[in-house]
Formats: sequence, C-alpha cells, structure tokens
Amino acid sequence: MKESMTYTKAFEELQLIVTEIEQGEITVDELSTKVKRASELIKVCKEKLTSTEEDVNKILKELESEN
Amino acid sequence: MSEIIRDKTVFTLSEVAKSVQKTLAERYSTPFWIKAEMNKLNYYSHSGHCYPELVEKINGRVVAQMRSTLWSDDYLNINQRFLNLLHEPLKDGIKILFQAKIKYDAQYGLSLHIMDIDPSYTLGDLELEKQLSIERLKKEGIFYQNKNHLLPLLPQRIAIISVETSKGYADFMEVIENNPYGYRFFHMLFPAILQGENAIDSINFQLSRIEKVKSHFDVVAIIRGGGGDVGLSCYNNYSLARTIALFPLPVLTGIGHATNETVCEMTSFQNAITPTKIAEFLIQKFHNFSVPLSESKVKIIRLTKQQLHEKNGLLQNTARLYKHLAIGMISENKYHLSQLSRSMMQEAGFRFRTEKNRVQNMAQSLGKDIKGILQQGAQDISTLNTTLVRGSKSRISNQQVAVQTLEKNVEILNPLHVLKRGFSITLLHGKAVRSTNELKPDDNVLTQLFDGSFESNVKKIE
Repeated sequence: MKESMTYTKAFEELQLIVTEIEQGEITVDELSTKVKRASELIKVCKEKLTSTEEDVNKILKELESEN
Repeated sequence: MSEIIRDKTVFTLSEVAKSVQKTLAERYSTPFWIKAEMNKLNYYSHSGHCYPELVEKINGRVVAQMRSTLWSDDYLNINQRFLNLLHEPLKDGIKILFQAKIKYDAQYGLSLHIMDIDPSYTLGDLELEKQLSIERLKKEGIFYQNKNHLLPLLPQRIAIISVETSKGYADFMEVIENNPYGYRFFHMLFPAILQGENAIDSINFQLSRIEKVKSHFDVVAIIRGGGGDVGLSCYNNYSLARTIALFPLPVLTGIGHATNETVCEMTSFQNAITPTKIAEFLIQKFHNFSVPLSESKVKIIRLTKQQLHEKNGLLQNTARLYKHLAIGMISENKYHLSQLSRSMMQEAGFRFRTEKNRVQNMAQSLGKDIKGILQQGAQDISTLNTTLVRGSKSRISNQQVAVQTLEKNVEILNPLHVLKRGFSITLLHGKAVRSTNELKPDDNVLTQLFDGSFESNVKKIE
C-alpha cells in the first residue's frame, strides 16, 4: 500500500508540474529544479509500470497460517 | 378374480393394482398441465431417462411430493429447448410447468409421466428470482457498493477466480502476460467451479480466501469462458451477488456470454463480456497511467524548450531595444550637445561683445567722471587752502597779542623788579630759604640782592 501511495503521489505531483509549466507558472529560475524533479517522478512511475514486488509464496503462507 | 376366504372377499395385490390402474386410467384419461418444483432431476446417463422428484413447498415446507418419469427422447427434446431459451439445462431446483399423465404401475406405484415441460415458465421463474435478488440487494443499499471502490491508478495485483484449464483463463493470461507494452502484472489463481449450482459455494469460498490476503491485491477478476452460455443462473444468486457487492476489493467479472447480464455482473465493479475484455480493461488502466506519463515527458521537454526560447528571444529583443535606444539617446544627446555648444558660442560671443561695449562705455563714462572728480578735488583743495591761510593768519595775530600780554605780565613778575624794590633772597646751599626752621647756627647763607650778593654766617636764630 505504501508503495502504491508513492507512485500515485508521484503521478499526481508530475501532473501538477506539467500543469504549472503549461500555464507558465514556473519561472526560468525554478525551471531546472522542476524539470529535474519531473524526470525523477517519471522514472518512479515507469518503474512501477514494469515491475511488481508481490510474492506468491508469501501469500500462500499467510493463507495457511490463518486457516 | 377375487376369491372367498372365510366369508371374506379377498383380492390379490396385482388385482388391487390393476383396479387402481384401471380407475385412474378412466378418471385421468387425458394429460394435463401441472406446476411444481423439480427438486431433483435424477438423470441416468446410462439409460438416458430421468426420474424427477417433484415437490410443492409452502413457506419452505413440503406439502406434496410425487415421483415422475421423463423418457430419454422427451428429455433430449425438452433439454434442448431449455438450452435454447434459458441457456440453462434442465437441472435440480427449478420450477417447472409440465404436461403429464398420471400413471400407476403395479410395481413402482403412482408417478407422473412427464410429456412436455414449458421452458418459458421456468425462464419467468428464474427471471423472477433474479429480480428478487436485485430488489433485495438494492433495498439493503449494497447493490452499487462494489462500484464505489476506487480502483488504484495501476490495478497491478490481480486475484483471479477461474479454472486453470479454461479457455477464458488462457485468453486473459495471454493479454495480461504478453502485452507488448512491457506492463507487469502480478496474478494468483484461486481455482473455483464457475458454472452450475456448485459455483455459488465454490466462488464464495475463494472470495473469502482472497479477503484474508486482500492487502496483496488491487483487484479480483472472476474469469470464465469457453463453457458456452449454459449454467449461468448461479450468477443471479442473491448470496453470491451480495458477497461480490460487499467485497473489500473491486471485483471484475468476465464470465463470457451473450445473454442478459447476471446479478453478479451488475454488482461487480466492472463487467466485461469476455475475459479478454477484462484484461484489456486492465491494460487500458495502465495506458491511462503510462500515456500521460510519456506525454508529460514530451510536454515538459517541449514547454521547457519553448519557455527558454521565448525568454531568450525576449532577452535578445530587450538587448536589441536597449542598444537601439542607447544609440538613439546618445546621438540625440550628441546633437543636443553640439546645439548647446553652438548656441553657447553664439551666446558667449554676443555676451562678450555686449560686455565689451559696456566696459568701453563704462571706461568712457569713468574717464569723464574722474575728470570731474579731479576738478572738484582741486577746487576743494584750493578752497581749503584759502580758508587755511586765512584762518592761520588770524590765529597767528591773535596769538601774537596774547604773547605780548603774557610778556608784559611775565616782566611784571620778574624778581629783579622785586629785588629793586629792596627785597632779597637768602639762599642756603643754592635753595631759597623760606623759613627759619630751615636754618641752624653756623650755616653759611648767600643773600641775593638787585645788583649782587654776599655771604654771611648765621649766628643766632630767633
């Protein structure tokens, strides 16, 4: 859940940055920082698209222990 | 025929049976329509015949029960019509309207010989059951509950309820696993029976297992396919539809059929006609995440470049404007300066000439003035001279008179005149003696007279 929060927030933050840039709300001074941040966020999100960390064995163990 | 035993008319069992059979045959000569619940179909695959167990219930209690027969040919015919209309075979636990003859067999007793069953009656009943499920769920306020879940941005972890060998599962996995976009899903199969009456308990059981480990999943997918449109009335079951409605995760259904939507499909978060569509739904969610992501990247690059370009242009324009203005200002000031310089020269020349004239004028008038002043001064001096001479002369003559008078007075005061009159002056050590106190005996004194002097010695002082 924690992980999903991270990518959801990253996605939202990215959208915000894009909107800010689109509406010209970012000054040239901030631009470099914002673009750097955006590229980090894109990286986090792209990674999420192509990887998962769930483990079938762990889930099976949980199912057994509670049965 | 009956015989008499100990005065009693006695029948054999077969005679009674025959009699009953005859009576019933006469009384119930034509077939008629009956409605009943088919508790059990009792299909014998070996013979192909069915021996349905029929009941009538009031408030769940059996008030009538009868056995029946359905011969193989009739069964096949009727079952096909059921499948055509209901997409359900003849099965246990349905209400049927059937045409039957009452039959009595000496060996098997009373039963109903089913000749025909009207599938539309059963359809209506099943439809009614479906409607009742819907109404009940709506009344409980949970009909749309599963739809209120928020699907995570990336529904990535899927608990799948399906049959591993089914075509639907294979279709689903094909789309999920071999998507060309590189999207990664985590999935785990919870195997269950997916059609017929047993599906209800089987699916409910797996849902309860998934609920225990729900934190590992984003979504549940119930996937069936390849089994035709038969045996789906279980998805109209109230209890299964309720479990799905109340399930803590979004439930996706891809049951795969062309008939009316079942209640479970209605209460699920999202229904799709086929498992493939469910998989595509999930892929679409990934697209919805991925596309804006790629677009963001492109947008940011484009907008950043654009902004920098704009600012650069603005800067250049400003610089150009500044240069232009500066040059303009410099040349303007230069012109102004030369103008000023020229006018200053003119002014200075003019001023110089004016001043020169003034000085000349002044010099001229000053010359005149000086002459006047000098004449006046000379005049004053001569006047003063005359006055001075005149004043001096009178002053001198006045002084001469005063001096003459003084001389006369001085002459009068001359001691000679006194001495002539007989007075003398006694001098001691050159000083005039004015008192006897100044003298002592034996002093030598000099006495001055008019015509000479003499020395004398003091003898006595009185």
